Amino acid sequence: MEKISITLDVNGKLCELMVAPNDTLLEVLRDDLDLTGSKESCGEGACGSCTVHIDGKPVRSCLTLALEAEGSKIKTVEGLAKGDQLTDLQESFINHGAVQCGFCTPGMLMSADALLNENPHPDRTEVRKALAGNICRCTGYAKIVDAVAHASHPHEGCPDCRPYGRSESKGEE
Amino acid sequence: MSDHAFIGKRMPRVDSRTKVMGKAKYTADLKLPGMLVGKVLRSPLAHARILRIDTTKAESLPGVKAVVTGKDTEGVKWGVFAYTRDQQFIQTEKVRYIGDEVAGIAAVDEETALKALDLIDVEYEELPAVFDPMEAMVSETELIHEDFPDNINIHVNIDTGNVDENFAKAHYIREDTFVAAEESYFHAEPYAVVARFDHEECLEIWCPNGGPHMKSKPLSNAFKIPLHKVKVRKIAIGGAFGGRSEICPADYICALLAKKTNHPVKIVFTREENTIATRQGHSMITTHKTGVDKNGQVLARETTCYMDGGAYSSTGPIATSVPFLSMEQAYRMESVRYNGYRVYTNKPIRGMIRVHGRGFAVGLDTQLDLIAEQLGLDPVEMRLRNSRQPGEYTSTKSYVGSCAMDETIHKAVETSNWKEKFGNLPAYHGIGIGTNSVQTGFPMGIRGGSQSFIKFNEDGEATVMSGVVDNGQGNDNMLVQIAAEELGLLPEDIHLVSADTETTSSDPGSYSQVSTFVGGQAVMVAAKNCRKKLFDVASKILKVEPDTLVAKNRMIFVKDDPEKSISIKKVVRVSLLNFNSVNAEGGYWPKVDMQREWVKNPYGQMCEAFSFGTTIVEVKVDPETGQVEVLNATACQDVGKALNPLVLEGQFEGSIAMGGQGGMLTEYHEWKDGRCLNSTMLDYKVPLACDMPEISNIIVESIDPKGPYGAKEAGMSIAMSAAQAYAAAVSNAIGVPMDSFPLTPDKILAAIKEKKAQETEA
Repeated sequence: MEKISITLDVNGKLCELMVAPNDTLLEVLRDDLDLTGSKESCGEGACGSCTVHIDGKPVRSCLTLALEAEGSKIKTVEGLAKGDQLTDLQESFINHGAVQCGFCTPGMLMSADALLNENPHPDRTEVRKALAGNICRCTGYAKIVDAVAHASHPHEGCPDCRPYGRSESKGEE
Repeated sequence: MSDHAFIGKRMPRVDSRTKVMGKAKYTADLKLPGMLVGKVLRSPLAHARILRIDTTKAESLPGVKAVVTGKDTEGVKWGVFAYTRDQQFIQTEKVRYIGDEVAGIAAVDEETALKALDLIDVEYEELPAVFDPMEAMVSETELIHEDFPDNINIHVNIDTGNVDENFAKAHYIREDTFVAAEESYFHAEPYAVVARFDHEECLEIWCPNGGPHMKSKPLSNAFKIPLHKVKVRKIAIGGAFGGRSEICPADYICALLAKKTNHPVKIVFTREENTIATRQGHSMITTHKTGVDKNGQVLARETTCYMDGGAYSSTGPIATSVPFLSMEQAYRMESVRYNGYRVYTNKPIRGMIRVHGRGFAVGLDTQLDLIAEQLGLDPVEMRLRNSRQPGEYTSTKSYVGSCAMDETIHKAVETSNWKEKFGNLPAYHGIGIGTNSVQTGFPMGIRGGSQSFIKFNEDGEATVMSGVVDNGQGNDNMLVQIAAEELGLLPEDIHLVSADTETTSSDPGSYSQVSTFVGGQAVMVAAKNCRKKLFDVASKILKVEPDTLVAKNRMIFVKDDPEKSISIKKVVRVSLLNFNSVNAEGGYWPKVDMQREWVKNPYGQMCEAFSFGTTIVEVKVDPETGQVEVLNATACQDVGKALNPLVLEGQFEGSIAMGGQGGMLTEYHEWKDGRCLNSTMLDYKVPLACDMPEISNIIVESIDPKGPYGAKEAGMSIAMSAAQAYAAAVSNAIGVPMDSFPLTPDKILAAIKEKKAQETEA
């Protein structure tokens, strides 16, 4: 199939690419840009492992054509941290034990990040609803829900809200 | 015990950081120079003879680099045991299920590879197929495997004697039959494999696995190369749940294509392939006959189970035994007779899965509840009267050292408010209890033990080598936690080299709940040995006896005089200056009965420790729709010792999701003539975040005398008992004992309707 030249704005960088009209955004991210954090698990929009942000909204990159994403701001899991500085949400996932095999984690983080941008203090029901499109087979979701619900501010009585082995300063901002 | 620096602490996992950053590499993420795309041609027929394969058109398609068929395989067959070697990696004579491997292709890109698959011309002679184990045993048509009469793949017979005599003495006897459909793993990561042959003709291979050494041996056999030339590499793994323990034909096909093309090759399964062409859980029909005395104690039990094994043996003898073993560990029985039949059908291959036999385990507990009702006993009391006690032997002669089964029952009952709720809930509300037990390993011959090596580097940090693999459950962290504890280092000072067959010693793998008990213990022993070397040097410098020293926080100091101390780094450097490197090895081999064999001699010490779990679940059933809302779940397990409660709770919660919520309410396969109709994530219903109840976790520590720090295993007894509790709660809610699993709305509505009809009649 004939390739077309496009420019994608991914994690704040402009990338010039030649893509086929039927290339999905997920394929281009993984194969052409080496951004393999976004995963393909079902390939049909059911599992959420490929979730990225397009203009701040969580989107299934396996169902999105790369061509459709031109002109939008795309953010992947690799774009969450600033260098080595993780976001509160990422730290919260680590501290609450929300990561097991880790394959669903990038998609979970992107769905959760979009939720927290709209609603920084979601209750557990709101978190469950926001993550209903992301399948996890390992955790039973309990620790993921904790991690998201407690990401913006430490939760009283939660033994995992204070980062392990680090200074007390975390969780204040 | 309380002065541990890391053991018993809620320690976030060492592998989480790379995973939340999207940096962790899984097999499908790998890119090697010159890498080709591999694809597998699979049988479209359930049972057929292969008459002819013509690959010429595919081979001449531009971009196709190699095509392999059964001709290239020298007919090598795979089987976990010598007596179950029945599966060729690529079929040469006939195909036995829809999805069986027929050919492999390597091409420059996916589009070309897929086009080439269509150009392979296979002529089949279709044979009559059987899809039901009961029919398969009496079918007159061509056997699926000619050397297995009546299509019976495995027959496990266990008889402790006196069964008939004890039935004759029983006060009450009942017999019930339970059925359960197949279920699937639906790992987050679809199966994938990357293989290449290097300049020394070594096979280097990356793939999800339940034990790298379980992959290297069959590959070494198949390619007729020594084990040291098979390098199974470490890679992040997106879940296993029992389904990635064995070699996968795609591993061999990928390696064969790499060999033929002299290029690295990557095969990534579609979701459908992951469902039909890896492994599934067995469907089964189980009849339990149980006789009890007046007090409800089980005098005699006879269980017959027919398991649909699909087209090949896989872990057949193990899978046929484990549901029975879990039962005999959990419950005392005066006498028992078991006949387990694993039957071949023309369906996908069945292997090990997190819940060993829904029909078996759940059926047994359902029957216990029915007997309790007959005797006027509470289900909790019924379990307490039959629960396993420490210091006893199981029916097949395994000694049970530590056991806090009763404590798990009492604590779960208390937390769930069972006493107030049972029998007092509103209509269509129910509460149910399940109890079960799993083993930490089984006799695995020469691969039953694990060995670890530890070396100190001159900067005072350490490299720990272990064959243990992490499928996602946290084994890497477990090893680092143990090493840091024993060496007196911080977790970040430990570099773990694991799950790589070139650099690590043999290890049983991360299935059968053995990783902590055996592999973790090996690291503990190696670290203690290494610490002894540090203390020998430090004691000379500090002029004290070595046994007065402790190591913590990168320092070695005198226990009663902590001012007297020296850094570990300095001790290592002093040792090196004296021409001694600081390194050590250590291993652990569980004392099991090596004469025990699944079929020939199913008696003797199975493993050294058993975990025990109780789950209680409360549900609300909508009588109009048959939908079940799970209100809460209480998970309580005797884990021996919780090395890391944070990780353990995650195992409990995942077990509730897969064993109970999905396993008992929504997960099953549908079929048409051997074709799986719901092989994708849209069609197969796994639990979502919004489906899950709040879960209360309770950890019970019996401190096993043989386990590392007293640890046994985490979570599997919850997966098993959760299935039982979910079924019991639904049965309790609708007032009908359910005997067909999972409990889908149609079955629940039919049961409610039938009950109403009976009540109207009466």
